[in-house]
Amino acid sequence: MAHHTAEIVADNYTLEPARWAKGRNVLAFLALVSWVGLAAGFAMDREQFFRSYLIGFLYPLTIVLGATFFVMVQYLSGSVWSMTVRRIMENVMSSMPAAALLFLPIAFGIHDIFPWSHEGHVKDPSKASYLSPQFFTIRAIVYLVLWNMFALMIYRASTKQDTTRSIDQTRTALKWSAPGVFFLFITASLAAFDWIMSLDPHWYSTMFGVYILAGGALAFMALLTLLAIGFRRAGILKNSITMEHYHDLGKWMFALTAFYTYIAFCQYMLIWYANIPEEVVFYKHRVEGSWLWVSIFMIFARFFIPFFTLLARSAKRNLTILTVVAIWILFVQFVDLFWLVKPTWAHHGVSIHWMDVASLVATTSVFGLVFWSRFKTHAMVPVGDLRFEQGLKFENA
Amino acid sequence: MADLAIQRQDAMNELQPPLVLGEHTTYHDISKQVSEIVEAPVYKTPLKWYIAVAITGGITLMMVAMFTYLVATGIGVWGNNRPVGWAWDITNFVFWIGIGHAGTLISAILFLFRQRWRTAINRSAEAMTIFAVMCAGLFPLFHTGRPWRAYWLFPIPNTDLNMWQNFRSPLIWDVFAVSTYFTVSALFWFVGLVPDLATLRDRAWAAGHKAKQYIFGSLSLGWRGSARHWQHYEMAYLILAGLSTPLVLSVHTIVSFDFATSVLPGWHTTIFPPYFVAGAIFSGFACVLTLLVIARWVCNLENIITIKHLENMNKIILATGTIVGYAYATEFFIAWYSGNLYERFAFVNRAFGPYWWAYWTMITCNVISPQFFWVKRFRTSVPLMFVLSLVVNVGMWFERFVIIVTSLHRDFLPSSWGYFQPTWVDICTFIGTIGFFLFLFLLFARFLPMIAMAEVKHVLHTQHDMEAHGGRAVNP
Repeated sequence: MAHHTAEIVADNYTLEPARWAKGRNVLAFLALVSWVGLAAGFAMDREQFFRSYLIGFLYPLTIVLGATFFVMVQYLSGSVWSMTVRRIMENVMSSMPAAALLFLPIAFGIHDIFPWSHEGHVKDPSKASYLSPQFFTIRAIVYLVLWNMFALMIYRASTKQDTTRSIDQTRTALKWSAPGVFFLFITASLAAFDWIMSLDPHWYSTMFGVYILAGGALAFMALLTLLAIGFRRAGILKNSITMEHYHDLGKWMFALTAFYTYIAFCQYMLIWYANIPEEVVFYKHRVEGSWLWVSIFMIFARFFIPFFTLLARSAKRNLTILTVVAIWILFVQFVDLFWLVKPTWAHHGVSIHWMDVASLVATTSVFGLVFWSRFKTHAMVPVGDLRFEQGLKFENA
Repeated sequence: MADLAIQRQDAMNELQPPLVLGEHTTYHDISKQVSEIVEAPVYKTPLKWYIAVAITGGITLMMVAMFTYLVATGIGVWGNNRPVGWAWDITNFVFWIGIGHAGTLISAILFLFRQRWRTAINRSAEAMTIFAVMCAGLFPLFHTGRPWRAYWLFPIPNTDLNMWQNFRSPLIWDVFAVSTYFTVSALFWFVGLVPDLATLRDRAWAAGHKAKQYIFGSLSLGWRGSARHWQHYEMAYLILAGLSTPLVLSVHTIVSFDFATSVLPGWHTTIFPPYFVAGAIFSGFACVLTLLVIARWVCNLENIITIKHLENMNKIILATGTIVGYAYATEFFIAWYSGNLYERFAFVNRAFGPYWWAYWTMITCNVISPQFFWVKRFRTSVPLMFVLSLVVNVGMWFERFVIIVTSLHRDFLPSSWGYFQPTWVDICTFIGTIGFFLFLFLLFARFLPMIAMAEVKHVLHTQHDMEAHGGRAVNP
């Protein structure tokens, strides 16, 4: 194999401690400031705090769920192209423990967030017992335990492989990935029903779980692209993540943009076409007052802009374009969650509270700290995977 | 050190098993093996092929007789009536359209995902797509009652007819979706065939068969395999793959709209589009598996369509079958969660009403049976996968039947409830299309190369290349 390694200029696969500390300090500072702010906000307006916090919590969570899904799929499909970015994916995935911690405010704020928690709001007795604070919390614990279990088991296998360089860990990761995708789909859908759809307890859509997962997967791919380009700018993994890999990341953003649009369009189309009052009310709230402009914005922001920007091959091989599109997608994912959650209380028009932004920073920075801490302990690429060298040399046909 | 190298080689073999078996398989071996099936002279055609053609041809004639009878008598010869105005006709339509989806998934989506194992199975799967869409098209065509006026479905500018298509109807979207799908699939299939037809032409020339040389020569459109030809070919292939990918999703999405745009409980649910697409791929893969298990055995293609190929297909069957199960569960859950009495009734009635037997057949075949494929031993057992592939096809037919008939037979007014029973014409027509489908496939297997030779050779090339360097074929 000697002559192969000779062709490749090897990168330093560990992050320098000084750089790592710098990243941690930025994240810790953001976390500190935003949590202090949120504490003050909580004291001033408890109800608003919880409502803003829900959006903040969902934003990094959907992205981490997207990461978990993608890592599992990389193992299952025996993917080679993603070798050089797989550890970054896995690090995003393994920030899952933050979700367990950050869920606590939601558990304490059920009465301020969810209308069904008030006696008599849901008339049907069996549904009322499903949407009860106790059962809601139990379900949330089940989701979080399962997500953490799968994420951490796969992460452990992958990092162990760095030293063993054996196929055994690939087998272990595969064994967790197959049932993992299954449980992830079911629990993430139920979580989407519980944490977002039940904000209007009378509204329902079978597509909703897929919708949330699709948005999360897309936002995750944008984050991954941004991280990979960010590392390149800092001179990290410059020879490992090549233009071929960026091209594929661009393809994924493009494909997921199309997939998300497909899901979002079908959900809208079918509800609009059938025009059943209890279903259509969801979209009615979102075309009232200034929400109409957000809804129209979403059509362009979610589909037309990223789709046509990324359509050409040359665009997917242009790091500036990829950076801009990735930032855009990450921004629009927040708008999407805002658009899903906020009209529950702001019926007649858009209103932004400073705590909406503060909680976004607060939750994301905590997830970020867990994510970043992984770079201190492990290599930045799965050096022990047998296919790693193939991944380095990968080229688009 | 040597042990380590061997260990590594074994591990790589496990991660990326070879896609063409045989120590020293050459390009010529592939050409020979695949072309000889097509080139065999009439008297060397296996007798079993003639028998199979006779049987399926006979069934095809029965189909023709059924349609003739229907046109001569009227749609009343089918069991459709109030309250079940749509029954086997649309069930069969959706069933056959669904079968076709695997071909496009294999040829287009797996191509874009760089799944090299698709090369051994894509040709026959694409052929299957085309035949399945032909079978599907027959049902709406004859349901019009006057198939010679089917062109009224197209928005042809006219003043004498005063026919204006209702563009708000999903049925008219079907006309566009299915005809586009058929056209693009046929093109894609033919473009892929061109280099192989040229191989057959050259072999006919070498063997001195003037007629064959002329036929394959015309069909191969002057292909000479120059670098420029390949460059154009690959670009065309990529573009067609890119166009087919959204088509796979759109066709079954629009088929699902036929139901989901209504307000009928059991039909109107937002998950229908992706659920129908997954179900279509599920049934399509099962059908490809059924046919290929037979074909690789009859034609001795085990070295090209390896166990690994079959295993991968079983994994897709497992994945899509489980997605379908997820959709069933979500529908049921949301029907309960909605608190809407009619929604709840529709689903309880599906599972425990008069059609309980159909519902549980569907659940057993579609959700439970693919779960066997979690176990590698079952995934790689040819007899088991053959049986399961048939079971899945039965299940997917029942899925459409359950959705369509159970939702219609008991709607909002109990006074108009009823029970659907198919007539003998319903049954014979459906069996007739199965015969027609197999008949076409038999002709294809005899007269055109069943394996995409040029693509398999490309895989072989990469495999040799990597073997020489101590690694295995790149299979990204």
